[in-house]
Amino acid sequence: MSQSDNSFEPNVIDDEMLQKAVEEQWPEDIRKLAKAEGINFKDVMELQLSFRNILQIDNLWQFENLTKLQLDNNIIEKIEALESLVHLVWLDLSFNNIEVIEGLDTLVKLQDLSLYNNRISKIEHMDTLQELQIFSIGKNNLTTLENVVYLRKFKNLHTLNLTGNPFCNEEQYMLFVVAHLPGLVYLDFKLVSDTTREVAISNYHYLTDLLEHEEAQALAQLEEKQAQQKELEYHKTAFVEYLNGSFLFDSLYAEDTEAAKLAYLPGVDDLLQAYRKDFVSVCENLFNYCLKEHEKREAEVSDFYEGLREVLTANQEEGRRIILDFENQNRTRLDEIHHASSHDTAESMRAEYNEDILQLSETLMTLEMQMVDQLEELIKEFERNIAVITSTFIENVKGMMTQCRDLENRHHEKLLEISISALEKSLKNELDEELPDDVREFLVDKNTIVNMVNKSHNIHLLKISMRECDILLNMYHWEASVKEKALQNEIDRNRNRIKEIFQYIDDLQEQLDNTQIPDPTE
Amino acid sequence: MEVLEEKEEEEQKEEELKALEISSELHDTKTKLSVEQICFSSDVPDFDWNSIDTSQLPDSYKMNSPREKKLLRIADHYHQQYTHLCPERKPLFLHPVNECGVEKFVSTTVRPTLLPYTELYHWDGCASFVSDYLTMEPLKCPLTPPSSLYSPTTILKYQRGNCFDFSVLLCSMLIGAGYDAYCVNGYATHNICSLDESLEECPLLRKPQEVPKEDVKKSNKYRVKSLPDMHSKFELQQEAKKKAETEATEKKERGERDMEAEEPTCDHLCGLRVHAWVLVLSGKREVPETFFIDPFTGNSYSTMDEQFLGIESVWNHKNYWVNMQDCRNGCKDLVFDLSDAVHWEIMLSETDKPLQLLLGAEKKNELFDRNVDDMEEEEEEEEEEISFAMPPSWVAPIQISPKEFETRCSQGRKVILYKKAKLEKWAPYFNGNGLVKRLTIYADSNWTEAVEVKEWFKNREDMLDMREVNKQTQLTTEYFSPGHLFGLKVHAYKSMNPQTERVMEFYTETRVDGLQKLAENASEMKEYFMGRDDFKYFQHTEFRTKRKKVTLAGVGTDVNSRPIVQIKECFHRNLQKPADEDIAERVFLIEEEMIQLTYHLKDKYITASKKDFFKPTESYRKQSEIMTPEMCITYQAGSSEQHTKLVHLYKLLQKLTEEEKQLKQQVWRSQAEMNAKKDEFPGQNEQDLDYLAPFLIQMGSPEKMTRRQALRLRDNCLSDFKNRLVSKANIIQARFEKEVEELQKKNQLFQENQNQLSEKEEADLLADYSETMFRIHILALRLDREKQTAPQKYLALEEKLRKDPRLAEHLGHA
Repeated sequence: MSQSDNSFEPNVIDDEMLQKAVEEQWPEDIRKLAKAEGINFKDVMELQLSFRNILQIDNLWQFENLTKLQLDNNIIEKIEALESLVHLVWLDLSFNNIEVIEGLDTLVKLQDLSLYNNRISKIEHMDTLQELQIFSIGKNNLTTLENVVYLRKFKNLHTLNLTGNPFCNEEQYMLFVVAHLPGLVYLDFKLVSDTTREVAISNYHYLTDLLEHEEAQALAQLEEKQAQQKELEYHKTAFVEYLNGSFLFDSLYAEDTEAAKLAYLPGVDDLLQAYRKDFVSVCENLFNYCLKEHEKREAEVSDFYEGLREVLTANQEEGRRIILDFENQNRTRLDEIHHASSHDTAESMRAEYNEDILQLSETLMTLEMQMVDQLEELIKEFERNIAVITSTFIENVKGMMTQCRDLENRHHEKLLEISISALEKSLKNELDEELPDDVREFLVDKNTIVNMVNKSHNIHLLKISMRECDILLNMYHWEASVKEKALQNEIDRNRNRIKEIFQYIDDLQEQLDNTQIPDPTE
Repeated sequence: MEVLEEKEEEEQKEEELKALEISSELHDTKTKLSVEQICFSSDVPDFDWNSIDTSQLPDSYKMNSPREKKLLRIADHYHQQYTHLCPERKPLFLHPVNECGVEKFVSTTVRPTLLPYTELYHWDGCASFVSDYLTMEPLKCPLTPPSSLYSPTTILKYQRGNCFDFSVLLCSMLIGAGYDAYCVNGYATHNICSLDESLEECPLLRKPQEVPKEDVKKSNKYRVKSLPDMHSKFELQQEAKKKAETEATEKKERGERDMEAEEPTCDHLCGLRVHAWVLVLSGKREVPETFFIDPFTGNSYSTMDEQFLGIESVWNHKNYWVNMQDCRNGCKDLVFDLSDAVHWEIMLSETDKPLQLLLGAEKKNELFDRNVDDMEEEEEEEEEEISFAMPPSWVAPIQISPKEFETRCSQGRKVILYKKAKLEKWAPYFNGNGLVKRLTIYADSNWTEAVEVKEWFKNREDMLDMREVNKQTQLTTEYFSPGHLFGLKVHAYKSMNPQTERVMEFYTETRVDGLQKLAENASEMKEYFMGRDDFKYFQHTEFRTKRKKVTLAGVGTDVNSRPIVQIKECFHRNLQKPADEDIAERVFLIEEEMIQLTYHLKDKYITASKKDFFKPTESYRKQSEIMTPEMCITYQAGSSEQHTKLVHLYKLLQKLTEEEKQLKQQVWRSQAEMNAKKDEFPGQNEQDLDYLAPFLIQMGSPEKMTRRQALRLRDNCLSDFKNRLVSKANIIQARFEKEVEELQKKNQLFQENQNQLSEKEEADLLADYSETMFRIHILALRLDREKQTAPQKYLALEEKLRKDPRLAEHLGHA
């Protein structure tokens, strides 16, 4: 089947075509070699599928590492099936029949995109292509000049081709584009001159200024949000999210309907204010303490890893030295064995070398065993320190939480007092203030009111305990994970090293075994 | 009064007696002294000051003005009182005679002058200029001040003088530059007085004090315990002991030897040798501390320096002070507050006090004080002094022409002997090869066995800055300033021949290839790089030395290209690549047709990945298989997947082969560059072209010439030169005529078409016309000059020929 026969019949990309295309782009000698070995599409970095009458893109998912894809001069109508080519840097879809820009969202590394000579009428759906530098969308069906403003998103865009679109005939086309895309160096194959830029800016600054202002505002908002998010994240790692301020206090009362009713009693308001103030200040203390502790923990961990790194580097150098020494000593040994005067000497030399290899293996293993011992100690020390940090932290947090509880208890007692006195007054009809009906309802007997106050108190205590529990759990969790990580790292390291040593020794022995020695007859 | 005077007379007699005694003592030492004098004055031909021409000097040199006469009277009076008060002290140095035989007061000899050279605005510039410019003469008698003191202008004119002349000149320049400077008459050690620096370390050899680097290292609490040390500590101790002992004995021996060699000779005239130097007080020109300048060397000394043994008196252009302090401990304990009447006896009390006290608020007080002083002094009936201010200097303005300033040393050369070292200085441009300084270091104290020669250059095209030649190893090291054609910084070599041992360092920033250092010898070349994009930092090329192969003559290869045995390259880690794809070391074993690749270590790994390629042999290539697994031995650290695909290996091999080719070429290129360098190295091109060579060749380059040949040679040479001059003149003449002709043509054209010309054309024509006129004028000038200078040039050549060593014996007396 030759290409010319194909030209009238629409095609779909299939395995056969791909195989052929991949093969074609190599020179003769490599092609032979590759064929013998079998081609893995994963290894292909570039692929050219031009002039093949392709109607539909398909079957490209295997080319995971593709960076350059040429699909120009086909009859493609829809951009599709490119989602998995996330490493793509260059994509050429020129001279096709595409009508809508779509399906490019995952190609975040894309720098060079050509959609020249298609039927596109709107620039859209390209928000994620932040790396875009060169964009060609000439000879399309773009009619509204304002659509170009969309390209302001791409901060790296320096080359743009828009020729042959309907809006190019508009009088202000050039100036409009230049004014709205200040980073542009080349437009429609030509260098944007400084004079053009000046004129464009002076003509359109009323529009662009507005745009810039809006963009700046959006950016500022985004940044602010990010900063907030970041701070919250930081607080979370210190286990104190929302602990500064009155968030916890407010949460005590959030689900407490009884307290809301009780608040109407005379004197409760003042009490609440005072309580709130004390409580918040304790919370602040706790918050600051936790942050400080967090810093301390981080410092401890980084100290540990710093120390670990030093030890490991020293160990690596030592191991490296041993191996280099060995290699330098035995550089010519295989040759010597190969060229030995007789079979017997060769045999003995081989045995000797084998012995040396085993010796090396022994040395490396000993080094590794020492290392394991040393690191075990190191990790134990680290664990001890972490345990100390954890226990002091927990103690202190518990202490502060107890302060909270004390505050709550005191508040509870006072509230009880007020409530009872209010009840008594109410019973004697001495209450001067007008109270809402539902409040009046439980000012009937002592049990009701005490129950109510107790209920509110219990809710509060529960909340406080929950928060405490939260912090403590987090802390335990942290301790466990840090220890676990240190241990796991060490185990992995040890395994890898042992594996490496075995592999290296095997390799040496294999080389030795492969060395030909003179025949015994000689 | 009379009694007093009698007493004075007696004292004078006594003093005379004492002086006699001293002089008798002197006689013994004089013989020795004269020997010493010969020592340092041997290369300075004796100069007779009596022969100088004083007739041209202005009148102020030859007579005293009334004020000066009065001053002298005051000085005499002062001196009388002084001798009366301090009978045991030596007479003061107040009014020696000048070059015209007229007595002049020393303060009036100081002529403050600011010279128009930026270098001379600072004290160190002035001091080094004075020390370089003047040639030192010893005092006639080393124990008394000289009887005469010449004007600085005369000193400058003849470029020689004693320590007093030096001091007065330097002091004049310093005061002119705004320093609070004074001439000092005092006593110093023999070395200072006789400008004998032969016991001193050369200042150029003094090593800068090393600042110990502080190791700021935070100790981490996480440390592993070191493994138990299995070595015997006792043995180590014993060894250390032994070493210490041997070292100690060696040191002792060496020390003894040194002692023998360098025992300083004791000077029994210590403390009596008269010297003059300059004192600079703190205060003016942001001088933080009072210090001395020795005018002979131009070096500054602390006032505590032990080489200055005492001060008699100091003076500047305004006043004269006598030191009343005890100088038994040298100048260490002296107080330099000249306004302090207890320590310093002032001569003219009316003149300004030294600036130190003249600051701000004290002025009023001072005025008051002065009035009080005046009152007291009036009582003592010394009105004369009160109203008297120092008369202006009688010396004509000091002038130094730019040429003199540039030439510096007298005859453009100055030699200083230091301890085991000799320093020679030349003025810039004095030597054709730009040599300005040469320091020779000797192994012995007699300056015979040179060990090392250092030469400094200036204003050279190849930016050569310093050359160091080690006479023992024959190693030459040249240092270049930035700007050399190849970015050369340091070049160390033993001989200029190609492929011998040499080390070159470069200014890396200026080189495209980032070459930093290149070390070469007969069999290898090491190159060190910095800041390259491909992360290469080292390249080692081994060559086959030619001795092994008896090469057939004319085998086509370049003579300089040696066969390469192997090239090894080392690379830094490129963090953008994974470690086991980033090559750390690449070895091309060219003779063995092998390429070895070693990759960087992966994190925490101790074995590096490796690939060894065996290049396919010719027979192999013809087979259908272009790449087989046997051609590459791979070791991939930490991955069990043994085989990468052959396609990749093949591609890699292709790439490597290509790079090997390029590398070879690059090595040859850099060899060529080295050879090019050799050609333009300074050592060779110091000789001029021989102007006689063409004529000598015509005569068959005879070893020795007969008189007839010499004459013929001379005639040939002269006639050739004459022809050249004539033809040059003819060329100029021809051009001149051509221009004139053209001008006439233009003129004609202009005349004819004057009416039809537009305004612009007319302007063009006129501009053209004036330009032609200008050219004609220049040509005429040249022609004229040529005619004038030609005979002179001819005569100069004739003279040169006569003095040419090859022809001298025949032509010298012709």
